[in-house]
Amino acid sequence: MDVAALIIWIVTALGGFYLLGTWIAKGGPRRDSPAPSRLPAPVVFGHFLLAVGGLVLWIIYVVVDVHALAWASLGVLVVVATLGIVMFYRWVPGFRAPAAQGSAAPAEAHFPVAVVAAHGLVAVATLVLVILAAAEVGSS
Amino acid sequence: MDERAMDRAKQPVSPVLTGRYGHPLHPALVTVPIGAWVASLVFDVASRIVAEPGFLSRGSSWLIAIGVLGALAAATVGSLDLFAIPGGTSAFRTAVWHMSLNLTITLAYALNFWWRLSAGADPGNSPVQIGQLVLSVVSLATLGVSGYLGGKLAYRYGVRVADEATQAEGYLNRDQSTPPTDAASDWTAN
Repeated sequence: MDVAALIIWIVTALGGFYLLGTWIAKGGPRRDSPAPSRLPAPVVFGHFLLAVGGLVLWIIYVVVDVHALAWASLGVLVVVATLGIVMFYRWVPGFRAPAAQGSAAPAEAHFPVAVVAAHGLVAVATLVLVILAAAEVGSS
Repeated sequence: MDERAMDRAKQPVSPVLTGRYGHPLHPALVTVPIGAWVASLVFDVASRIVAEPGFLSRGSSWLIAIGVLGALAAATVGSLDLFAIPGGTSAFRTAVWHMSLNLTITLAYALNFWWRLSAGADPGNSPVQIGQLVLSVVSLATLGVSGYLGGKLAYRYGVRVADEATQAEGYLNRDQSTPPTDAASDWTAN
């Protein structure tokens, strides 16, 4: 369970890495953009930083097997998930009306829908696996 | 050359995370893995020379782990600097190579650490195995290549380096560096 959570967390991170790269490359953090992003930069970067921090805590937990680290990692992951949900709800309106925006579309309108969906789904799977592993469900 | 593209690569995408303009955090963070992994190799070699090598073998494993954690921190910040470089450019391709090599090296050190942890049948007082030492040498040599690419990004392509107008501020004489007040303009007029 611990290693399964680690693997699915890394898969989630790869999707997030792609979305973050797209967001920055399309001018997401720039305040002077003609179509400013609806995703606040502190939320995006906070989500990124905490997700990396939580993943590192989980890696250390898998190596040293100190159970408090699993709970700490889960605590960080809950904050990460909350920020992710906030971003998802702010992304949806831009996804619904992409045609009207043309070239002045905000950065997040360039996200491939499949990547957002996959990132969200594996993120939920990560959260479930981390909860199960932290609560030691299924372990002897 | 696209001046705007070059200027974009000089700007921090997030001053809080990546350091403010002209003060990138990534080059400071990379000193942790570089220092830890170099010291780890010194411990590896020393463990095969001294009489009671246990402390050096254990110390080397610790240094590898510290280096891996430091590398992840440096990668977090470095990836944000990567995203600031416009795609399709030589600088971007160099940065992707730099990132790929570093991730490979970090993975190699993580596996090296795992190997030492699981192979430590007699962790008390055995020298570092030759295979583990060779893996460290190869990893560190690759880190040299990757570091060269990182240097190219900073010193040749100027990624996250302040522009020349900002640099020139460091070469003004004391009397020139005062802002052009009315008095200063009078002085210039004379």
